[in-house]
Amino acid sequence: MHSIAQKEFVSTLRDKRFLVLSVLVLALLLAATLVGRASYQTLQQERQLAQETVNDQFRHQPARHPHRVAHYGSFAFRPRSGLSLLDSGVDSFTGTSVFLEAHQQNSVNFSQAQQSGSLIRFGEMTVAFVLQMLVPLLIIFLCFGAFTQERETGTLKLLLSQGVSLRQVAWGKIVGYSRAVALVVAPALALAAALLFGTEEFASGADLVGRLGLFVLSYAVYFFLFIVGAVVVSAVQASSRAALVTLLGLWILGCIILPKATANLGATLYPAVTKAQMDADVHEEAQHGINGHDPQDQRSAALKAGLLKKYGVDSEEKLPVSVGGIVMSESEAYSAKVYQQHFADLNATYERQNRLSDWVGLLNPYQAIRPLSMGLAGSDFAHYVHFQQAAEAYRYSLVQRLNALQASMGYGDKERKLDAHTWQQLPLFAYQAPPLGWALPRLLLPVVALLLWAVGLSWLGLRLISNSRLA
Amino acid sequence: MRIFWLLFSYEWRHFRAAKGLVLLCALLLLTGLYGIYYGTTEIERQRQHLTTLPELTRRNVEELKVKFPGPADAGDIGYYHTTYAVHHPDAWAALSLGQRDVNPYYVKLRLLGLQNQLYATDNTNPMKVLSGNFDLAFVLVYLFPLLIIALSFNLLSSEREEGILTLLLAQPVSSGVVVGAKLAFRLAVVLGLAWLLSVVGMLWAQVPLDGRMVTWLGLSTLYCLFWFGVALIITALQRTSAFNAVTLLGVWLLLVVLVPSLLNLGVAAARPVPQGIELTIKQREEIHAGWDRPKTQTMNRFFALYPQWRDTATIRERFVWRWYYAFQHLGDLAVAKQAAAYANGLQQRYDLVEKLNLLSPAINAQSSLNALAGTDLPTHLKFQRSATAYHDALRAFYYPFLFRKVEFTHADYAQEPTHTFTSQPELDTALRGLGKLLLSVGGVFAAGLLLLRARPINPR
Repeated sequence: MHSIAQKEFVSTLRDKRFLVLSVLVLALLLAATLVGRASYQTLQQERQLAQETVNDQFRHQPARHPHRVAHYGSFAFRPRSGLSLLDSGVDSFTGTSVFLEAHQQNSVNFSQAQQSGSLIRFGEMTVAFVLQMLVPLLIIFLCFGAFTQERETGTLKLLLSQGVSLRQVAWGKIVGYSRAVALVVAPALALAAALLFGTEEFASGADLVGRLGLFVLSYAVYFFLFIVGAVVVSAVQASSRAALVTLLGLWILGCIILPKATANLGATLYPAVTKAQMDADVHEEAQHGINGHDPQDQRSAALKAGLLKKYGVDSEEKLPVSVGGIVMSESEAYSAKVYQQHFADLNATYERQNRLSDWVGLLNPYQAIRPLSMGLAGSDFAHYVHFQQAAEAYRYSLVQRLNALQASMGYGDKERKLDAHTWQQLPLFAYQAPPLGWALPRLLLPVVALLLWAVGLSWLGLRLISNSRLA
Repeated sequence: MRIFWLLFSYEWRHFRAAKGLVLLCALLLLTGLYGIYYGTTEIERQRQHLTTLPELTRRNVEELKVKFPGPADAGDIGYYHTTYAVHHPDAWAALSLGQRDVNPYYVKLRLLGLQNQLYATDNTNPMKVLSGNFDLAFVLVYLFPLLIIALSFNLLSSEREEGILTLLLAQPVSSGVVVGAKLAFRLAVVLGLAWLLSVVGMLWAQVPLDGRMVTWLGLSTLYCLFWFGVALIITALQRTSAFNAVTLLGVWLLLVVLVPSLLNLGVAAARPVPQGIELTIKQREEIHAGWDRPKTQTMNRFFALYPQWRDTATIRERFVWRWYYAFQHLGDLAVAKQAAAYANGLQQRYDLVEKLNLLSPAINAQSSLNALAGTDLPTHLKFQRSATAYHDALRAFYYPFLFRKVEFTHADYAQEPTHTFTSQPELDTALRGLGKLLLSVGGVFAAGLLLLRARPINPR
């Protein structure tokens, strides 16, 4: 079996076509790594600079009334995750910044996709793109003749007559091809790792090492199952041509048609609410109370009466706190609660839409590696939602601090301002991307799908091979 | 000519017998129908969403009428009243959705500064947008070439591999007629499918009867012809079926996947767009500085631009709405240059792609179909300009109330201007695309025929 593996490995390397294709793929991989790195750096710098600018502006505000500051607000910029230079996931299609202000939650705006025409819809040149779509093609070209060619030239009979079992031949071929593929992919991943860990910005990162390790491992499984699958198809099909056409057809179905079809189907099955409708509903519920219970003016009146009672006074002027600030704080809490519910509903809808595609991953390995890869790279939908929620949590705490400041100003606060140094004591937005341990449970389905594929194919496929009368 | 038809009908019988190919065509027909179904339902959904917006505005007005039962200060109304600038799709959008799912098709507007409202996005599922739209244009641009490849990768090679070609060419038939008849038959099948799907799509989407129908058919025909030209070149090389399949798929990969993604990178690098976020940050700075600046300073800057309101009363109050809206507008004006630069930058990117799309007929076909349907970036920029003009109209409507201190009554809500914008096709772009496709078709066929002439068909 070792000699078969060695033979396949050596003859593959001697094959001129393979050499051309693999040099091409390797060049694309290296180019994608470098381009990914460059765009990562530019975007990261832009966002960092912008975040520093708005932070600076926030701290250097003149004396203002706290509610003015709440409307002045701040911006949260989404930093890119370290591995997003390998797989940018949904990053180009999500906004990059969100304006944080009192009373409302704004959309995350200015996505890359809006800044280019429909060209971006053809797909982006990233390392993940090469690994997910092009390397499988390379594998198909490499392996489609694994058995058919031996049969067409009559060497298979010779081989079997020497007492080697079909299963051993198949394994030998799989091992040989795996080595050849590893030779193509490894340099690019090594370069990526060097780029990632060679610079000081990523110096700290057991998390990053873990993510990269699993990233490499998942792709290894992905390639392995393609190799096994191609060898099995080659063994089952009558001619090289039939094997090639079958494999290419499967590739087109799995990598081009199914992902798009399931994403579209998901969106049709679980329609999402528009922002306009959602904002209107939120406003309605915040004003008139959830389900029409306790509308805002009633809540405010009750709050004011409670304050008067608590401090044992008969008019607003005698209160030590500003009623405006307290009412503001209560209504912010109420509306944030309403917003939270609607956002949770919306994200649940999106997750249902995406789930459909994840389940299809059980049928189509491309739809298993894609979510897994971007999940590990920290550029999937879940990571994006994590950022959205962190931005909202910061917005809420900032606004409530400002409301508390207003409340402490006492009666007649609207005529007064707070000192400029007040703003320097407020915390700034600092985003911490979630660790690997947070991401992994969310990726269980694709992991299971990929492992099922690898194990199932090796087991069933090889049984199929050894049971068939090939020679 | 008789021989040509004989070969043609032989191909037909052969095709009918080959179950796999018939199945493939049927599958493509079904995916095409799904594409049309998806595109029309998606546009229908957008239309339906757009019809709910006037209802939202009406509810908002009802609420304001309760909140301000008597005559009100127009400043309050302008602050709390929301209305929408809407971008209605053209009927053709259903066949080529373009960027309609990435760019918002409505903008919620209040009387406040425009620049921090104009770029708000709608709720979108990024995973879905990443996967893209399964519309008829996708089927035509991505999948039809694959069908053409599947039908013609073994045009002669299979006959050679099965030993039939020697027999065939031993007859008094020229090899040109053989290749011609085989190609013509496949062309008939593919174009038949493409036209059938296109016509079904047009009927389903209820497009208006105009010249665009011809343009659409012309674009899809030329695009299919281009791929047949590529198949002709590969056939003329006279290699094995496996080689042909790999090479043709390689060309497909190059033109449909690699060139577009590399071009995208190149264009982004060659035409850097000023960060849109910069302008919103600057506008916020301007607007909020408005609170802290002396009121007369703000008003004098405003009056210099709108002298018709100069004779209004000097502001002595701590707060008055006309001053508030004046500095809101000044905030917009302060970033007018950045806003124009942002829009221009996007347009320049688009223009550069249009110049370079000769590199890949796939990009050319896709952007021409989008241009025809009015679903690409230029249409969105037009919509943004239209929304800006609407915001101007709103200001013009409210200013007399604010500056002349006219009370805003319940009857005045109905007088407020409304907005509507419907996508206009970018016919010039589509026609230019048609011309460039013709050029590509001419190129591949010339190369194929030259190759065939240089190396006559070898039966073995």
